[in-house]
Amino acid sequence: MGAVIHARDVRKRYGRSTLALDGLDFDVAAGRIVGLMGPNGAGKTTALKSILGLTPFEGELQVLGRDPRTERDSLMKDVCFIADVAVLPKWLRVDHALDYVAGVHPKFDRQRADDVLARTDIKRKSKVGELSKGMITQLHLALIMAIDAKLLVLDEPTLGLDLLYRRGFYEALLNDYFDHERTILVTTHQVEEVENLLTDVLFISHGKIVLDSTVDALPSRFAQLITTSEHVAAARALRPVYEREVFGRYAFVFDIGKGGAPTTDELAALGDIRTPSIADLFVALMNDGHSNGATAGRVGAEVAA
Amino acid sequence: MNITVMKTLLWRETWEHRGLIWAPLITAAVIVLTALLSTSFTGSVQINVDGKEQALFATLATDLSHQRQLFAVWLGALVIPQMIVAMIVLVFYVLDSLYNERKDRSILFWKSMPVSDAETVGSKLATALLLVPLWVWLVSMIASLVVFVIVSVKLAGTPLAPLATFHLGTWLVLQLTMLQNVLIAALWYAPVAVYLLLMSVYAKRSPFLWAVLPPVLLVIFEEVAFNTSVIAGFIANRLFGFFRELDLHISSDDGDTSASVIQQIARSYEQLGTLDMLAKPDLWFGVAVAVIGFFVVVRLRRWRDDA
Repeated sequence: MGAVIHARDVRKRYGRSTLALDGLDFDVAAGRIVGLMGPNGAGKTTALKSILGLTPFEGELQVLGRDPRTERDSLMKDVCFIADVAVLPKWLRVDHALDYVAGVHPKFDRQRADDVLARTDIKRKSKVGELSKGMITQLHLALIMAIDAKLLVLDEPTLGLDLLYRRGFYEALLNDYFDHERTILVTTHQVEEVENLLTDVLFISHGKIVLDSTVDALPSRFAQLITTSEHVAAARALRPVYEREVFGRYAFVFDIGKGGAPTTDELAALGDIRTPSIADLFVALMNDGHSNGATAGRVGAEVAA
Repeated sequence: MNITVMKTLLWRETWEHRGLIWAPLITAAVIVLTALLSTSFTGSVQINVDGKEQALFATLATDLSHQRQLFAVWLGALVIPQMIVAMIVLVFYVLDSLYNERKDRSILFWKSMPVSDAETVGSKLATALLLVPLWVWLVSMIASLVVFVIVSVKLAGTPLAPLATFHLGTWLVLQLTMLQNVLIAALWYAPVAVYLLLMSVYAKRSPFLWAVLPPVLLVIFEEVAFNTSVIAGFIANRLFGFFRELDLHISSDDGDTSASVIQQIARSYEQLGTLDMLAKPDLWFGVAVAVIGFFVVVRLRRWRDDA
């Protein structure tokens, strides 16, 4: 089976100067849960829009073997998405929303949507405008989960929700939806929230992919060294991609997967070693010029190269 | 194109714009109420009974074919207020149709469904040109029956009583004639609807101003610069030409003889069922413009998500 998403040199320019996507190359295989992460303005949303056929771009991009630029409507039989804002219109009644999706989507299982909704407090005759933000997301999720899609794209799906709804959202997604054949592509700022569900990470910065890895491969690629001030100079000499100081202790992130990188034994001599969390890695690789590690961004870019 | 999908899309339009369903019903209710309260029998066909018209009604009482024609013309005229209301409602509907979805960002939901831009735009055009006009046709058909009953009760015992005879065959033919007019009007107004769709899909804000200002400015410019009104004439012809063709006016104000009024009735009756419009190059030119415009609108909606 081919890649669910196959991107080669995908470029997108807004106006004359702004390069939103600067040659994206990546593949997403079936059955993965991929986190697409990047700081604001990195090109996340543009990348998703390109995948979903919502915006034109240059380069080669195939989603389930189709070109999203010309085949959005047929692509949407197999792709679902929840955008970063509540997009269900206020005037839409809950039962009509069900009627609508049932009417236009050949892979919608109405019974399933009814079952999911029955577990919520959402009334059938309510209009979307009368529901809370959490309920609107529940409704949208109920509609999406009843569609037998191959790819689900989530763009900041839990933005603005309280903790209970956020937990419920991802629990429902994992327990009732994901079945190892479907593929989920998710972007979120709340990295901690998704890091335990992801199988793959894609970091995007300035319109380029700066990290493309399975989560399983991260321990052999990155190491975090926690040490004290007397080892700082030695640690810096080993060219960390990122460093920070917390309460007198120093944390360094090393790229140990490339040639010339320090071995774990060398690092172990300086302090405690662990695998950085995805959130740590995100900060390490995205942090260009924001912190004391002014060089980290530059080194981070080398990681990608 | 899938029938279930199209049916769902048309329903969707009525969910968003309840007024499309309610406006014709309310207008019909007003017409019925007017018929109930009014002392003359309809506003649209005014025939005042005084000495001069006695001869006319005497003639009509025995002239069955002209009686039928008058029956059809005055029932037909009842549709006019319905059409005017529907048109106003439809103008605002079409202007909103591709603008609201961007304003409230629900376009991201609609576009997450396997519905093509052509189907979406087509459903909005079909709502404006067929669904609502057919609904108006249905509602006014029923309203005309109710009004007829009211009027015949009122006319009982007056010299006009023979006119309140129900001609079933004429009524049925009239409904088919009206249906025919609905379809011809759809063709005639297609370019207007597409123009409004274009403004709706294009405008970043206030599609109404986008739709109204350019033609108004063009008309003013032409008046000032060339002292001509070709554009104004062109626009007026497109907006009102259909009704100019379908002239249902019957008047005996000028003390017309009964013979000339009967001629007017006959002429109006013929106008009701006229197919002259189909022979006008204007109509087909408009249809061609509408088809091209439709594809432009579809094309614009494809990448118009950046609201």
